[in-house]
Amino acid sequence: MTAPTEFEISVFSIIMIVSGFVYNFVKFEWNRPLRNGPGFYLGIAVPAGFYDGPGKIWLKGYRATLLMMHLALAVTLAVPLALRLWNWVPAWAGGSALLYVITLMTLHGWTRHKLGGNPPVCPVALSLETRRLGDYLSWPMEALMAAIIAVSWWLLLRSGDPHIDWLMPLMLTWIAPGFFVLKIAAIRSAAPLPLECAEKHYRYQEALRRNNIRVLNGCCWFIVTILFEVALMSACPSVRKTIWLFWLFVGAPWLFWGYYMFQIFRGERLTATLGRDLLPQGSFATPFRRDASLKMQRSYLIWFAVWIIPILVCSVYAVVR
Amino acid sequence: MFLTLQTNDKRPLYLQITDGIKSLIAGGELREGATLPSVRQVAGDLGVNLNTVAVAYRQLQDEGFVTVRHGAGAVIAARNPGRIDQSELLPPLRTVLTQFILAGLTNHEIEAAVRQQLSLLQQKGGAQ
Repeated sequence: MTAPTEFEISVFSIIMIVSGFVYNFVKFEWNRPLRNGPGFYLGIAVPAGFYDGPGKIWLKGYRATLLMMHLALAVTLAVPLALRLWNWVPAWAGGSALLYVITLMTLHGWTRHKLGGNPPVCPVALSLETRRLGDYLSWPMEALMAAIIAVSWWLLLRSGDPHIDWLMPLMLTWIAPGFFVLKIAAIRSAAPLPLECAEKHYRYQEALRRNNIRVLNGCCWFIVTILFEVALMSACPSVRKTIWLFWLFVGAPWLFWGYYMFQIFRGERLTATLGRDLLPQGSFATPFRRDASLKMQRSYLIWFAVWIIPILVCSVYAVVR
Repeated sequence: MFLTLQTNDKRPLYLQITDGIKSLIAGGELREGATLPSVRQVAGDLGVNLNTVAVAYRQLQDEGFVTVRHGAGAVIAARNPGRIDQSELLPPLRTVLTQFILAGLTNHEIEAAVRQQLSLLQQKGGAQ
């Protein structure tokens, strides 16, 4: 057995990422508008007979947008593959995830604007259970992540390798702590509970919240293990000669990637099964204006912009330099 | 444990929260030492302003229903029925009864409504 080449690692990475995208597309995204039954389109209440009339056009438009987005992803992937520009692959992976999220959010927002203008007002229930960070986060695991980042930097700084590409460790170090803020946002996020089946809605939101934390943990560990792998390879080139050790460090991030994808799909199944009989979020209005939460969301959005812009700049710089 | 907020309730939101929490205390669902969620959490969950919830919590604190401990948040205080003079409670009761009479309800109907509300409060958790 020999050590994998840059080409083999890139091809393996692409296969892992693309297979996740394809599975998600076929299994969940294609029929997402129909998830809540014939009375809803993308979680928005629609009149009876909607799918016999305008619903058909809406569904076609949704699926056409999805297909176009995946086509764009395929074309942007074909370019680095054809030109053998392997340093484009991480930028493509990050860019495609961003395009995916932005496209779906825009599509949902636009559909809600067009179809769900005046949702019915319904009485709501407020859960008086406290949600503390410690109930959702494992502090020893968070400390371990921070320690691995610190050790990685210690390895990088003591390696003395003049050929180290500092851009990647810097970018990974910037990305990883950002997930901690995302986790806090996930813990704090909640939607008003409709009075009818308040308990079921609460359990549903709680299950999704915990799943989102697991997704973010998986993604964060993926980033942290890549940073550690990069640092170790720079500081101890002998690791490359011990094949099993080399494979271990190359494979570890992908184990976390697998866990991350598994949790995403698990969340989709949870939404489908637990949320089947429940009112979708946004299909009803609360008796009061929703202003403060928007302010809070705005603060997270500002933070998100501060976090994501340097990542995008670094990704573009890595490609064009 | 849930606090209910109705669509047709004309009271300000902070008062609905205050009265809802008092009702849960009266029904025995919220017992002494129970911790209430933070102002930020309640405001975020309901999608209302932080100040609205802060005012509700402050009123509960002023009336002695909750104590705010540093680091622990708002905690339900011990109930002390002897603290409030009964004569202070009678004017609001008289106002409500006046509204019932003006609405055209008979004495029998008013008594039945009061009994029903009282039993609803008590069956939630055994109010003393």
